[in-house]
Amino acid sequence: MTFTQFSLGALALLPLLAAALTMLLPHPVRRALGVLVALLVAGFTAPVLGSVTSGELTELVLGGFDAPLGIHLRGDGLAAVFLGVTSLVGVVVTGYAAVLPKSTGAHLSATSWVTSHPGFWPLWLGCWSGLNAVYLSGDLFNLYVSLELVGLTAVALVAVGGQSAWEPALRYLFIAVLGSLMFLAGVGLLAAVTGTLDLHQTRSQLDELEDPTLPLLALTLITVGLAMKVALLPMHRWLVPAHSAAPSAVSPILSGVVIKAALVVLLRCWLWALPAVPGMQWLAWLLGGLGVAAVLVGSVLALRQDRLKPLVAYSTVAQIGYWFVAFPLLLHGEHDGAPLGSGAYNGLVALAAGHAIAKAGLFTAAGFLKDRCGTDKMSALRGAGAHHPVLILAMGMCAVGLLGLPISLGFTGKWQLATAAVGAEQWWVLLVVAAGTLLSAAYLLRGIAPLLLQAEVPENAPAAGPVRGRERLGEIAVLIFGVATIGTGLLGAWLGDLLEVGAWW
Amino acid sequence: MVSVDTISWYLLVSTVMIIFGTVRLLLVRDLLARLIALDVTGIGVLLALVALAARSESSDPVLQALVITGLVIAVAFTGLGAVLIRRIEGLREDGGGGDRS
Repeated sequence: MTFTQFSLGALALLPLLAAALTMLLPHPVRRALGVLVALLVAGFTAPVLGSVTSGELTELVLGGFDAPLGIHLRGDGLAAVFLGVTSLVGVVVTGYAAVLPKSTGAHLSATSWVTSHPGFWPLWLGCWSGLNAVYLSGDLFNLYVSLELVGLTAVALVAVGGQSAWEPALRYLFIAVLGSLMFLAGVGLLAAVTGTLDLHQTRSQLDELEDPTLPLLALTLITVGLAMKVALLPMHRWLVPAHSAAPSAVSPILSGVVIKAALVVLLRCWLWALPAVPGMQWLAWLLGGLGVAAVLVGSVLALRQDRLKPLVAYSTVAQIGYWFVAFPLLLHGEHDGAPLGSGAYNGLVALAAGHAIAKAGLFTAAGFLKDRCGTDKMSALRGAGAHHPVLILAMGMCAVGLLGLPISLGFTGKWQLATAAVGAEQWWVLLVVAAGTLLSAAYLLRGIAPLLLQAEVPENAPAAGPVRGRERLGEIAVLIFGVATIGTGLLGAWLGDLLEVGAWW
Repeated sequence: MVSVDTISWYLLVSTVMIIFGTVRLLLVRDLLARLIALDVTGIGVLLALVALAARSESSDPVLQALVITGLVIAVAFTGLGAVLIRRIEGLREDGGGGDRS
């Protein structure tokens, strides 16, 4: 076994092991162990990224059991990109949570509510393990199990936010579980026809199938289920309360990477597990239409918020739309030659990866302000920027990424999406991208501008108190996200090379 | 050998369970009733998988593995949901005090 293969296994199993271990430890030790594990996971990501950069596809067959019963881990391009992004977000958020324990929620001690929740650490490490397993899984069964691990830990992570977070958490649980049940039903149907769960074997078995009805039915179930978990427009209403009621250290994880896990599973099913089935394009057009609606409606709803965290959450709803706008273009490639499809695919992944970093930064900043000022009402936050120039600078950099201005992955993604749209003569995509960009400029300005206004902060308000050293460190976390948003914009070409490794075409 | 008719029957039952469970989940307001509706939907899905697994002479191990995992996950989400519901209802009853467990 090479070190890269070992890393594949370690990426999924090390955080899980650490999650179990942290359960047994007292709170301060949990923080130290959490930071250590985060650094180790980032360390294990490096060899996988390295081998994919050199064009190699690393596979690991756990325990030597082969498909269809064994567990296959595949470190391909899609996995490498999301592993990298998740490690970046994970390490920074872990550091933030360790420095500012206040951001990990609230729990009831013997007498009163205490800020900081020891349950954050095992849950977050368990969630991270599930995320890595989703990216690396080579079969539908493990995709289901790890997606479920991500979903359940994410619900519990929302719930550590204290009383106000319990109802949003329960609502999230209902939708997440209903979504994964539909996914399970779809996977079961596929397995009943093909007799295997391995992605490649499923595809080759389905290629031989004459009747397209059953794969189409399975794909519809899978798509509807996963669209619930990604929060595509008509199924988006759980996202806003859950992501805004979650503790400050949890919202960036949820909006940044947890919904990407469902997106990765959706891509695996559409592009890897199923061949081009007649009738699939209708489903793709439906997703595209819902994506357009999400971009427009999500942005307008974001404009109407008067609190910062819900505004950022609605911006997530709008950004989700872009990924689905790319779906009709993805399928074009299947019929008329690969480059078109791969352009839309690169654009989709670049948008999702850029969104993960930028949105994690913006949510960390919003949570930071909420923890510091005791509220995230924008009218109460007027002038808060005077004490936090670094934070505001970093928020601006993240906003550049969400807008898709050069240089950022958001720009690369929108550019590739638009190029693919022109190639396929789908001009409406350009209109949607332009409208979405203008609207997002409006709502981001609405969110950030009040912080910059000159305003008299009353002397007894929490925002007027001296900024502690730890809080300054917390601001650095947001700054890292901001710099990474701009910095990753330079990696657009490298991203395209990575995605070619182990791609479906 | 299980006859095809028995399997169609079970598939029909499971479809009805899934539909009833989903509709109830989306329409009802009572939290406990919603959790149980979700369980009914879950059992419906698992029943469909068991029925599909039983089509051949020796039942399909892959589908059975899916069902067993599905059961474990159903226990997990029911537990998590029950804890959350107890806390929320405790909160409503004593007006903001919350449940301590």
